[in-house]
Amino acid sequence: MTPVPPSASHLTSRHKTNWSEMWRSVLRLSGRWRFVLGIAGALFVWTAAFSPWASFAFGYPGKMTLSGFPGGARVYLLPLLLLVSLLFFTLPVGATAGVRAALGLLFIAGYNFIAISWEGDGVDAVAWGAWIALLGSLLLLWAFASFLWEEADGRSLSGQTAGHTAVKLPDPIWQMLLVFGGVPALLICFVYALDVEESSRFVSLICCLGAGSAALSSLGFFNWTSELLARQRTFAVILLLIAALVFPFTQDGNGYWLRVLISVGVFASAAIGLNIVVGLTGLLDLGYIAFFGIGAYVSALLSDADFTTVHVRVPFLLVLLIGATVAGLVGIFVGAPTLRLRGDYLAIVTLGFGEIFRITMNNWNGLTRGPNGIAGISDLEIPSLFGSTPLNFGDAHEVFGVSLPNFANYYFLCIFLFIGMAILFSRLGNSRIGRAWMAIREDEIAASSMGVNPVRFKLLSFALGASMAGAAGTVSAHVTQQVSPDSFTFMESILLLAAVVLGGMGTIPGALLGAGVFYLLPEKLRAFQDVRMLMFGAALIIMMRYRPEGLIPNRRRKAEFREEKSRFSAGFLKGTGELDLMQQNPVQEGGT
Amino acid sequence: MEQFAQQFVNGVVLGAMYGLIALGYTMVYGIIQLWNFAHGEIFMVGAFGGLAVWTALPESLAENAFLALPLIFTAAVFTATFTAVLVERVAYRPLRSSPRITALITAIGVSIVLQESVRLFYPDGKRPQSFPGLVAEGNFSIGDVRIPWVSLFIVIVAFFAMLLLQAFVHATKTGKAMRAVSQDPDTARLMGIDVNRIIMVTFAVGAILAALAGVLQGMKFRQIDFHMGFLAGLKAFTAAVLGGIGNITGAVLGGLLLGITEVMATQYIPQGSAWKDVWAFIVLIVVLVFRPTGLLGEDVSVRA
Amino acid sequence: MKSVDSDFSPSSLSGLAGNFPPRVLLRASGLTVRFGGLLALDAVDFEVREGEIVGLIGPNGAGKTTFFNCLTGLVMPDEGEVRYKGQLLVLRPYKVAEAGLARTFQNIRLFPNMTPLENVLVGRHCHTKEGVWSALWRGKRFREAEASARMAAAEFLDFVGLVPDEDLSAHSLSYGDQRRLEIARALACEPGVLLLDEPTAGMNPRETQAMLELVQQIRDRGVAVVVIEHDMRFIFSLCDRIVVLDSGCKLSEGTSVEVRKDPRVIEAYLGISPE
Ligand SMILES: Nc1ncnc2c1ncn2[C@@H]1O[C@H](COP(=O)(O)OP(=O)(O)OP(=O)(O)O)[C@@H](O)[C@H]1O
Ligand SMILES: [Mg+2]
Repeated sequence: MTPVPPSASHLTSRHKTNWSEMWRSVLRLSGRWRFVLGIAGALFVWTAAFSPWASFAFGYPGKMTLSGFPGGARVYLLPLLLLVSLLFFTLPVGATAGVRAALGLLFIAGYNFIAISWEGDGVDAVAWGAWIALLGSLLLLWAFASFLWEEADGRSLSGQTAGHTAVKLPDPIWQMLLVFGGVPALLICFVYALDVEESSRFVSLICCLGAGSAALSSLGFFNWTSELLARQRTFAVILLLIAALVFPFTQDGNGYWLRVLISVGVFASAAIGLNIVVGLTGLLDLGYIAFFGIGAYVSALLSDADFTTVHVRVPFLLVLLIGATVAGLVGIFVGAPTLRLRGDYLAIVTLGFGEIFRITMNNWNGLTRGPNGIAGISDLEIPSLFGSTPLNFGDAHEVFGVSLPNFANYYFLCIFLFIGMAILFSRLGNSRIGRAWMAIREDEIAASSMGVNPVRFKLLSFALGASMAGAAGTVSAHVTQQVSPDSFTFMESILLLAAVVLGGMGTIPGALLGAGVFYLLPEKLRAFQDVRMLMFGAALIIMMRYRPEGLIPNRRRKAEFREEKSRFSAGFLKGTGELDLMQQNPVQEGGT
Repeated sequence: MEQFAQQFVNGVVLGAMYGLIALGYTMVYGIIQLWNFAHGEIFMVGAFGGLAVWTALPESLAENAFLALPLIFTAAVFTATFTAVLVERVAYRPLRSSPRITALITAIGVSIVLQESVRLFYPDGKRPQSFPGLVAEGNFSIGDVRIPWVSLFIVIVAFFAMLLLQAFVHATKTGKAMRAVSQDPDTARLMGIDVNRIIMVTFAVGAILAALAGVLQGMKFRQIDFHMGFLAGLKAFTAAVLGGIGNITGAVLGGLLLGITEVMATQYIPQGSAWKDVWAFIVLIVVLVFRPTGLLGEDVSVRA
Repeated sequence: MKSVDSDFSPSSLSGLAGNFPPRVLLRASGLTVRFGGLLALDAVDFEVREGEIVGLIGPNGAGKTTFFNCLTGLVMPDEGEVRYKGQLLVLRPYKVAEAGLARTFQNIRLFPNMTPLENVLVGRHCHTKEGVWSALWRGKRFREAEASARMAAAEFLDFVGLVPDEDLSAHSLSYGDQRRLEIARALACEPGVLLLDEPTAGMNPRETQAMLELVQQIRDRGVAVVVIEHDMRFIFSLCDRIVVLDSGCKLSEGTSVEVRKDPRVIEAYLGISPE
């Protein structure tokens, strides 16, 4: 029984092949050379940031032909370079971080290099600045990596265990101040990133932020922040909430980003429901979008749309309830017979259900108008708090002298929806019910031997998740103003699942972040529209390989994904038992 | 009655193809308990590999079925096997000891990558590609039932492939090792079996069968496209579950049953064709509810 | 079918009857389990009385674990029935646990990614009733129930000698601690009978001694214990009564002295009949 080994560095600790041994021995550096190369690399990158990257102006964004001016993507070299320079002083602890930051520099240089030669029809378009950037970042990478090889050869570096030592926090006052400064800083970063238009700059920014966070993470920075946030949770949540509420006022009456954030909010809300099912209870649901679709169709049918088959209009709050209830009931209907199946069977049954739902909506012309869907769904109206005229979500409003676009209404609604879901999730998660769910996830047999009725609690989880998706769906129908079967395809289910897994299973910030990534990035990466899905697929594979616990993992659950445990069990051609108490040992092999 | 017989034959042909794909699912599942979601894509990649070679053939050769067919099949098998082994090596092997969901999401990722790669990088891959028929057009008749030659060809190829597979699994040393690994990989390793190699062979065998199915599908429908693997894969997996996952005979049986059900339902249920893709899932759900182990599987359900 | 066993008559409840034998808590009769052709349990009769520590021994593969699985509803018996306090047990794991039978597993089965305290809290499942609404509303009742469940769980942890640590997950505990945690979790169900499957497997002599004392303390709390063990010294110094299984049959039963002398037991263990 050994504790999980520290897993700070994926670059070094994984399978060492002879091939990489060979490279290492060729590329090994002595102490002085490392230093020289490091300095040289940093100088090169610094120079490159102020040198021309394109040899002639052909529309590549950011005035890349100018020298003495760090425009366009070049500017994102600078923060990383600063980080790298600081890391020099923390060696050897900061070696992993240094490698990551240097990789970030390399990606920025490499991406722009390729993009420039692509758009400029050949390498001729690339000016010396970009070459120097490539060279400099490679040198830096080399210098830092040679420290890691040394560690792999036996000298243990204390930095590797940074994530596992106890976290020290400053006084509570300082904690509050840090949170108080940190949250707005984060928000400013976010708004800034939204404003970055050209894809070359945006990709570079993402490289910069990604590499920076990866570097900081290897120094234990995020353990520290998560500890900080855990201590100051209420305060941080309130700040974030204020920030989210203030956001529409920063948009100059422009609804574009609000619109995008609305869909992020709606999907994040649904993702929280899925998080109950997948993250807490460990049930694999591949047809989750169907429940969302049920909510959307209920809402569309009960709102007297322009193109509809049912001409009634039900007050929205009631629709929300009906949508959630119907979705939950369907969840029970689907779940009751199938939830006793083991994992993969459940996955395919839910997948099948999702397809059945979509095809049914497609064929049921009398009710759903088939492939045309229901369109022209009217704006929401809810009773106003202030006057007798109901509040119409289609109207723009003037608040505190700032005019808010009509999307702001939906935006605020989404925030409420999200908060509601988050409260639901965290309250249920931290109760007897949540513990029963987790116990089932961890070990169903042990859970049932402790008195947990697995079918009952799985059904509860499944139905609750379904009705949360239904509720999110009712809102979504009004936001998109139309529903049609092709919004509820298998890919959408996968997208939601990926959002949950990518963000970090079983956490609320994870669901938000995951939904954010999957519904914001496509907006920002329009230049890559065609290869978008390819990138998505590749991202899933890479993510599962290198960070299966997600971006914001549940603090203790990380281990599950890291631990070496045998998943093998009998079952081919003959099919022996799954319920094999003697051979299967999901906890771990005891030290007998 | 003729109509019934006719549809029955059609169902068998469809089912034979489902069965061929299902075998890949069932074998991989049997060995590493992975729902290899990308297996349907292997089927599609195989078909495209075959087509690519056919397109490249000089016209005199391309017209000649006796020369072109073996070439197409070889190319398809090569492409599919190479892809499957690569995927196993790069994507799945590092995750052997990970939780199920990690492996499944990787498999979905692989599936998307393969689909998109064909869409983006195969010449004009966004549109359906027409596929050569090669086998003589026209039908032969048994009574009033008319059977296209292609269908006969499909059934024959599928039948022999399955026969060979049985022989492989039961009579060769590698096949025996495969069965051993599926029973207990750790012990098998101690007995000197190279488990990694066996797993790779399993993927390869599955890919070969899927590639055959891919070419046959192309020949029958005279058309292939980049997303044909998705639905075919789902239905084949359904067939594997239906027959009892991990069970080779079960996969074939499940495939046939599913093919026949689908064809019959489409024929005899009013408006059946609009619901064509639903029947597979309904059958699946019904079977799983009443016999969770599939038709031939042993009792593996966890009792609550 | 009558559902109340004669051993569980009102007279034995009254407590007047000092010279009555302690009442039978758990009675399994004629339990038979077949795995395909293998007869894993062959019409085993078994009973546990109040305040008893019963040892269950037998060679490897004798069917001891299968017997536990059968009692706790993880394996369905082909024949036979189990009664607890005279009541016929419905052999579903969670029903058995509700009725008052808790167990540990031969291969430790904790909830690896939950804290020790949470593990024990799951054990409190049957003794808390809070549902969805109450969890959402978080009223006074809920908070009190939650607080008392936590208190109880912490006490059980303390009882087996563990300290709650919020940042630790169960899988990172040492092997001995995991065993103890499993016992604490089972105790949190407040069972009448506790079934321990090889609690000292893989422990050193000192830990084994501590386990022995722990089991005695558990009995002193009024919980009857059935313990499977291969460590004979442990069994003989702990158990009031010992049952020997071999190839699914009950071979012998009695005090440690009786069992030790039984020729059939010696034969089963040594494979030769004593001269
Ligand atoms: N689920 C199962 N399916 C098939 N056979 C089983 C199953 N569980 C147990 N057996 C078989 O039943 C027999 C009794 O096993 P059991 O685990 O009860 O033995 P045991 O007395 O606990 O042995 P040990 O001392 O090694 O723990 C063994 O031969 C075993 O192989
Ligand atoms: Mg045992």
